[in-house]
Amino acid sequence: MSDTDRERELEALLTLSRRGRAKVERLHEILTTPGHFGTGASPATVVYRENKLRLLRLLDETGEPRRGPPVLFVPAPVSRYFILDLLPGRSFAGHVAAAGHDVFIADFGTPSREDRFADLEYYVDGVVRRCVRTVAALAGQSSIDIIGYCLGGTLSLLYAALYPETVKRLVLLTTTVDGDVQGGISWVAHRMGLAGESYDEPRLVPAVEVKSWFELLAPGSNSVVGRVSDLWERLDDAPERLRDVRTMATWVDDVVPAPGRLLAELYRKFGPGRNTLMAGTATVGDRRVDWSAVTMPVLSVSAEKDTISPPEGVDAIVKIVPHAQVMRLPGGHVGIVAGRAAKALWQRTVEFLST
Amino acid sequence: MADDKPELEPTVLERWLDEQQHWQRTVMSYVDSLVKNDEFLVHLGNAMRGSLLAGKPYPTQPSADATAPQTPADDKLDQVLFALHKIEGQLSDLRLSLDELRAAREKKKAKKRKDKKG
Repeated sequence: MSDTDRERELEALLTLSRRGRAKVERLHEILTTPGHFGTGASPATVVYRENKLRLLRLLDETGEPRRGPPVLFVPAPVSRYFILDLLPGRSFAGHVAAAGHDVFIADFGTPSREDRFADLEYYVDGVVRRCVRTVAALAGQSSIDIIGYCLGGTLSLLYAALYPETVKRLVLLTTTVDGDVQGGISWVAHRMGLAGESYDEPRLVPAVEVKSWFELLAPGSNSVVGRVSDLWERLDDAPERLRDVRTMATWVDDVVPAPGRLLAELYRKFGPGRNTLMAGTATVGDRRVDWSAVTMPVLSVSAEKDTISPPEGVDAIVKIVPHAQVMRLPGGHVGIVAGRAAKALWQRTVEFLST
Repeated sequence: MADDKPELEPTVLERWLDEQQHWQRTVMSYVDSLVKNDEFLVHLGNAMRGSLLAGKPYPTQPSADATAPQTPADDKLDQVLFALHKIEGQLSDLRLSLDELRAAREKKKAKKRKDKKG
């Protein structure tokens, strides 16, 4: 090899080394920068606690609660609440609060082993109902607006049917109603013949397993090699972008364990082949859910590229609540709520809440 | 007049030596963070699994007794604990009902006072 060739090779290696070092330094910068990780972006106070639940009330710039119409956000109990209050400027709850509403968020917390016995009745007729009562009492109102996300939307819809006089308006985000629609977690589990959870002898389903079910719907995302490679590529991004990615990763990767009895009941009642929400035979405890009781205005939003709650399964709500307004937005399950283009949803929600 | 010697470009070998020193500083910054920041090791471990999860380790399979009781006594204890949680909720229901009754009474009294004045 000539000296010129050798030099050229060394130059090429030097360029590679510099690029690699820049990525390693960028990683160090990101890992040592404090930010909004897992705590919610908006100042809030805890107004009610029960078991692992915290009911948060957002505060304004002066540290005081707002005095506008009350709104309760109900996230899915199997994921962290702060997806609804992700970052300053990227907070759904913050946006609704800035529009003048007195905003509350139910943080269901992290279940312990004894919470494996929690079922639909515990959540709908227990925890959610007490959150609504607390919000109504604090706001001095007899009825409030509820925004339910994903499984939180299922709980909210069931609650609204059982206690319609306490719900002024209902917003459902990516909430599956038709369990027979192809796609989504229950359907995939059903098709793969995965054993369902046991209702009678439930376990606390580990977070890593709950995460793996979501990853079933995004093949390749559960591969360590794939993830490391993806992260290595991302380290060329600007630090601000990486901080956003990190905040989102802290939600995506920080899944909570799930009560096995709740999952068993959801699958047994609402899953493929049972589909009692659509059949109108759903029950909560020993109470039959009557969809004709849902007379308040309802807005249901689906996401075009949602692999967790396929849009057809979400939009089917009009078959059980005919007056529901249905809206389909571009994006995925999480992106429409907290992604960079989520403002379209937020704005539409604020408009709906002011009708 | 002194001769102005043109500034020579560093050779590739000199630039490699310089790059090595940069690498040393980068490695030292990692060591420094490992020593000073308890959480840094956790975050670095997560990054090596391809995750930027902050504040806690990447989820892994927990021990068997974290998901289900290993003995009948543990099972009974869990049932008692959960029953206590439900009782806690029912007590909250009671308190909320009392508050609602009190608020309704106050509202009624206020309305009576307003009607009297009218």
